[in-house]
Amino acid sequence: MPAQVTQISAVTAAAAHVLCLAGLAAAHALAGRGALVSNPALALRLLVVCEAPVVIAVFSYLRRDRKSCSFIKAAARGLIGLPVGALLNAFGAIVLGAPVGIKYWTVTIYWSLLMSLFTFVPAACVFGASKIDWQNVLSHSMYVLDFYFTPTDADNYIISVPCHGAVLGAWLGAWPMPLDWERPWQEWPICVTYGAVAGYLVGMAVSLVLIAVHKRRVRAKSD
Amino acid sequence: MSPPASHRRRSQHLRWPLLFVAILAVHSLAVYLFTRGFLLTRTELDLHSSRDDRPPQGDVSAGCSSWPPPAVDRLVIVVLDALRFDFVAPSTFFPEKHPWMDKLPVLQELAANEKTSARIFKALADPPTTSLQRLKALTTGGLPTFIDVGNSFGAPAIVEDNIMHQLVKNGKRVVMMGDDTWIQLYPEHFNKSFPYPSFNVKDLDTVDNGVIEHLLPSLHKNDWDVLIAHFLGVDHAGHIFGVDSTPMIQKLEQYNQILEGVIDTLRSLSNPGGTHENNLLLVMGDHGQTLNGDHGGGTAEEVETSLFAWSPNTPPDAVLSVLDDSSCNADLNGEEVCISTMQQLDFAATISALLGIPFPFGSIGRVNPELYALSTGTWFNQKMGTDACTSQNDLEAWMSRYAEVLCVNCWQVKRYIDQYSATSVIGFPSEDLQHITNLYSRAQANSSASFRTTCSSEAGSQDKLEGKGSVLPQQIDAYTDFLQTFAKLSRSAWTEFDLWSMGIGLLLMILSVIIQACTLIKLNTICQPSDQKSHSSIIPKFSFAFALVVIRAASFLSNSYILAEGRVAHFLLATSCITGVWYSMVEGKFGVENLVFLLLNIFARFGIEIGMSKQLPAPAITKDHSVSAICKIFGVTSCETLLEIFPIISLAFVAYIVLKCLSQAICQRFLKYFALCATMASYVCIAFHWASETTLFSHAGIVQEFGRSLSPRFVYAIGGLSLVISALYRILGPTDHLRMNQRITILSAIMLCSWSPTILILLGRQGPVVALICMTGAWCIIKSQQRHQRESELSVAEPVLVIQWSLLAVCLFYLTGHWCTFDGLRYGAAFIGFDHFHIIRQGLLLSIDTFGVSHILPILSLPFIAMVWYNTTSKDNKLKDVILNNITQVLFMYGLITAIPATLTIICVTIQRRHLMVWGLFAPKYVFDAIGLLLTDLLICLASLYYN
Repeated sequence: MPAQVTQISAVTAAAAHVLCLAGLAAAHALAGRGALVSNPALALRLLVVCEAPVVIAVFSYLRRDRKSCSFIKAAARGLIGLPVGALLNAFGAIVLGAPVGIKYWTVTIYWSLLMSLFTFVPAACVFGASKIDWQNVLSHSMYVLDFYFTPTDADNYIISVPCHGAVLGAWLGAWPMPLDWERPWQEWPICVTYGAVAGYLVGMAVSLVLIAVHKRRVRAKSD
Repeated sequence: MSPPASHRRRSQHLRWPLLFVAILAVHSLAVYLFTRGFLLTRTELDLHSSRDDRPPQGDVSAGCSSWPPPAVDRLVIVVLDALRFDFVAPSTFFPEKHPWMDKLPVLQELAANEKTSARIFKALADPPTTSLQRLKALTTGGLPTFIDVGNSFGAPAIVEDNIMHQLVKNGKRVVMMGDDTWIQLYPEHFNKSFPYPSFNVKDLDTVDNGVIEHLLPSLHKNDWDVLIAHFLGVDHAGHIFGVDSTPMIQKLEQYNQILEGVIDTLRSLSNPGGTHENNLLLVMGDHGQTLNGDHGGGTAEEVETSLFAWSPNTPPDAVLSVLDDSSCNADLNGEEVCISTMQQLDFAATISALLGIPFPFGSIGRVNPELYALSTGTWFNQKMGTDACTSQNDLEAWMSRYAEVLCVNCWQVKRYIDQYSATSVIGFPSEDLQHITNLYSRAQANSSASFRTTCSSEAGSQDKLEGKGSVLPQQIDAYTDFLQTFAKLSRSAWTEFDLWSMGIGLLLMILSVIIQACTLIKLNTICQPSDQKSHSSIIPKFSFAFALVVIRAASFLSNSYILAEGRVAHFLLATSCITGVWYSMVEGKFGVENLVFLLLNIFARFGIEIGMSKQLPAPAITKDHSVSAICKIFGVTSCETLLEIFPIISLAFVAYIVLKCLSQAICQRFLKYFALCATMASYVCIAFHWASETTLFSHAGIVQEFGRSLSPRFVYAIGGLSLVISALYRILGPTDHLRMNQRITILSAIMLCSWSPTILILLGRQGPVVALICMTGAWCIIKSQQRHQRESELSVAEPVLVIQWSLLAVCLFYLTGHWCTFDGLRYGAAFIGFDHFHIIRQGLLLSIDTFGVSHILPILSLPFIAMVWYNTTSKDNKLKDVILNNITQVLFMYGLITAIPATLTIICVTIQRRHLMVWGLFAPKYVFDAIGLLLTDLLICLASLYYN
């Protein structure tokens, strides 16, 4: 029931996003400038290694059912969700035409783990196996524009919007790949990763705005 | 209130097909206008040079007075079709040695050992690199026009002035042997000819053996001045097997032997003082080919061919200072070989100068100095006006002779420019023309000075000689500058676009698309009882569908996306599938067809990758990496057996499914038995045809003959018969006692079963796999449609599904190994069941193969998505209306989905008309899209009549 669920304040949401951002920034700092182009496997590995604990910790802390579920359990759900989400993401990428040669295997695995961290793990940590919540998150893609009409569960924005941003960004990031510019970053999965990260960042910003607007509306309504 | 239903229906019966006919008419008009503006290129002038033409002896062009004197008595031209540059040049010139290199060692040895008389050239052709265009360009010295590509099947005689015409007019006798395209181009120009049919690509040897039979005996005879021998084996081997193949290497080795024979014969004939002293041998390609054996476009591999020139008598050593020694390299034996570069455009002018005939009127080439110098005759026959200056050394004499030739050359080109500007509607840009004229007058002004210096110096004082030594090269440079500038100008600006016509065509197209879209929206609101629920759910779907179409259409604005069109279409298809999965997860009902569609996408994607790399010529599936990896495990022989048998087994599977579907779909007894029998017979014939082509079984001659040629014809005949029967059934068949659903099902089932075996046999061994992908895709989409209807309780077709249908069709086009250039046509398919070329018959088969799986089948099976599976209204009469409306709507949507990308292609072609790749990539894409659009419109018309 929404009443029992602890509401996430805008500040908490901002803090969570800042932490996730810090994870990305740390990976970037460790890998160095341009590492994604020169050595994508290493850069992606660093990204996954830095981001995974942050995301799992943050979203396990924000878990939905505080009463029945401990922090450790939520984190375990996240850990299980990581490979499952990676599998789904890799499957989606291959359906869309990602190359499958032997030389791409490692980067594809790291990339899908990263995508899983952006999309699947947060939801797994927060919701666990709650089917309705998952559907809510998914359906946000359908009704993200008319959020004025669906004022329930504004907290879902913190998960759903960055997730959709990452997926859309990755999808858009694939478009430069066939161009004949012959740049190294057109290789799989470099530009897709750039797109996903960019989309994720945009998604975070948008989710913060949405949460803030939503809180204000709720407050106005209660007044 | 409203007219009775039957009356309304009757009026609709006619109204919708009429609408489709109107769309077809508008599109045809638009395409016609645009094509006329876009593909109209060069005005062909039918003026001819004649021996008496003289440069006016005015003040400007006083330098030269007559056509150059002959330097070569007999010319032997051996044309090796599709001769890549690396077939001739030593492998040391390339970063990597490949198996097909160094297979013509006789040429390399000559080039290395007789540096002064033999030379390898890299000849650069201009696109389009198809044989007919190249032959035309070689003989007229002009730039070929794109519209001729369309004429390539029925080569018309050349009306422009050309070398052959000049040869005949000047009493030279020409003997031709080989490719019969020459006879089509020059029906009355040869003294003697031995033509052989060139269109059966599977036949590697007929033409070559014919040439071999006549070549050496003809060399010994005295009844010719120019001998042309055109070999086709390399071209055909490339088309069928690719460059890296044993037949190709065997062909090259065979040519090496022939060339050795030719060279020995010529050497023995050209004794000093003999009648054939001034022979010249040219071994040349008309164009190159890619590693897959394709040509037609403008890539380096297709454009770079080679020319080898050898004169049996050695010119003086001074020739070495004319020849370019900038690109020399050691060959395999450590000897130094030098290679020059020339433009194929220059060929006609050079040959005319060598043979001493007037240059063709429309030639815009330059006499190539190196090729000109290689002929001994240009060094010794100094009977020109320069005999006053006897003290000249060889080189200076040659240079003054060459300068005179260039002078005539420039005058002739200038004459052509003036004539062309005067007669053609759109000439060259005036500032460019002014620049050219300036260059010309500068060169000619110099010339009078330089020729005066050449001959005035009786005393031959030292400083005069020195002055002349620098004046002549300057003069040659000035001429060269003029000629090259003009060649560049004509290359960049030749294509004469009629912008008005193009603009009107484009405008018409855009208007028709807008009207189509408006009508579709209106149609939707008419058909749809506008209740709130359906309205809100249909808008995002429409916008998603629209977005997919627009993204795909917009991708045509870049050449990279046109090249990757198959992958783009697949990407969008996969996106729509994933969205479908997403949607069904949100709804909480996950259907199995979504998953199957995703898996199908993976298959389609690998198929497209294989198809687009065109590594799938009929039996050579082994080239595919994953398959060859499996082959390594199992061993080669068993793998080949497997590959031979696999198509037949999968064919049996396909046949089983088809028969099962047919027996369920058709409930009329006679039709059912006919369809079953026809399908069964067709599939048996197909299997028999494939079995007879394998090497696994040893067949008796008659059996093999039946399998090879009769059984495909049998399949075509059955297809035609069932087409007739389906049409008859549509016209005469009982309609009343059948429910509409059943009727449509029967109609489309027999329609599909009459087309599919023909398309299947034309697709070759990939056919069954493609058919399976087709059927699975259709099943998935129809299942989705059923679910959509069940859930929304609306009978309207979902736009996204129609888009998926059309994207799947595009994917199938690429999956079956086609792509949008003329070398992407699968010419081999046109010869299944026939050995000889016939323009209508083979053209029909080729178009069925090209458009069958991507246009004919998808459009004819569209009613399946329009069917109402879950009857919400009880009245059959109402249902009939709903179904008919649905079919119209779906056909309309499909037409719009085809028209939008076609419009964008036209816009793109208009924007990119000066692009480097316009003839190689954009124009073929435009032609394919235009034909596809008109074919789609036509099929939609027919379908709307047939299913009405």
